[in-house]
Amino acid sequence: MSELPRWARDALAGVYDPCCREKGISVVDMGLVRSVQVEDGVAKVELLLTSGWCPFAATVLTQVKDQILGQPGISDADVSIVWDEAWTTDRLSPRAQNILRFLPPPSAVPDRDAYIAAHTQPKEQPP
Amino acid sequence: MIDDAFVFDCVAHVFNFDPKNAFGQAGLMFDNHLYAFHNALTPEADRHKLPAEEFLREWTPSDIRKMVYEESDTDMLVAMPLPLTDLFRDGLSPWESCADLAGRDPDRTVFWGSVNPLEGRKALDLMERQVGEFGARAFKFYNVRYDYGKPYPWRMDDPNIAFPIFEKARELGVNLIGVHKGVPLGPQPIEHTQTWDMDGAAANFPDINFVIFHVGLPFLDETCWQLIRYPNLYASIAATINFVVRAPRMFAEIMGKLLFWCGEDKIIYGSEAPLFHPQWALRAFMDFQIPEDLCAGYGYPQLTDQAKRKILGENLLRLHGMDVAEARTRLGTKS
Repeated sequence: MSELPRWARDALAGVYDPCCREKGISVVDMGLVRSVQVEDGVAKVELLLTSGWCPFAATVLTQVKDQILGQPGISDADVSIVWDEAWTTDRLSPRAQNILRFLPPPSAVPDRDAYIAAHTQPKEQPP
Repeated sequence: MIDDAFVFDCVAHVFNFDPKNAFGQAGLMFDNHLYAFHNALTPEADRHKLPAEEFLREWTPSDIRKMVYEESDTDMLVAMPLPLTDLFRDGLSPWESCADLAGRDPDRTVFWGSVNPLEGRKALDLMERQVGEFGARAFKFYNVRYDYGKPYPWRMDDPNIAFPIFEKARELGVNLIGVHKGVPLGPQPIEHTQTWDMDGAAANFPDINFVIFHVGLPFLDETCWQLIRYPNLYASIAATINFVVRAPRMFAEIMGKLLFWCGEDKIIYGSEAPLFHPQWALRAFMDFQIPEDLCAGYGYPQLTDQAKRKILGENLLRLHGMDVAEARTRLGTKS
């Protein structure tokens, strides 16, 4: 994943795909922002979707554009979704990986029970 | 029976798609989404694929009974209401019609009740009535409502909204609760159909078995983690099974993941009749094998005959306190 400018990471840290809002995982943590480049005050932002079926593409796109436009020195923003690269779970930030816990393919798990034990916190105790 | 498998279908709705039943555009959108599912996933060659004008009508208990018992290999059925009184005058699948459907075959059809927990005392009273007068053996809930033109979500781990409902179920001797998860329909926001709240429900009510319908799609990994950690969580493949013909690869990956991580004892079949005619998916499921490259390359277990028997009937029988031998004897079906 290419490095995003710090200002862009900060600006987008509060933008959420609705699927992840409840978990507090931003579009940056999800790895949905592929690149942010600025030329003559015009920001060019490339986004990936986790799925081509994502019903929230328009919402996310609008929120990203609004946030970028609110940054100093930005006069316009071209935010687009790119399709030449598939989103994969390795784009998740370590924090997001820890929260979402996507499952690996079984062939990567020599011992299912040991894997679960190693990745399962003690069960929540009822109050 | 299909081949040697006893079929206990965990969901059929007595849908009322009459346009006059819908509250405005939101209800009509919901109807149309369901028709889109029917149209997209029913195989082209299947004679039960219906044009919109034949599908979007008021279905009757007789229609459902004929479809499920006379036209398919189903042995037992859950008659399941929809309490969507925010979008439809009668909730879309009125509980009274479902009780009627169950009453026609009391040995074969099980009535699940349904209420709107946001109605508080009224909901608790209706639970008592559905169990006491109509023999409800379980309940099904829907976390998203659309009252006053906007979403009104509630959560399965809410001590004020959900827990009194679960406590009432327990008091009534009901220890089985289903909940719609994933698959947002009409104007329902998808974030409120996520499964995050099931941990709190399962942990606080370990004596109640909860069924996450539609395996919470598209949140499959999260659902698997929950099934792994809580012995009282189950997943229904209702509607999910209908990908078996049009998207067999995707279906194979869903089943492979569920089988490997959660096990064949945790998965429950449902037809969603009349949204989908049961027979084509039943036949396709019995004939289905997870492709060898997914088993060899990714380590998915095969969908064995034993797993199919459990998924199609034995698991739900167990959750209802029945077993196959007893059910076969009672219904007079041959093994």
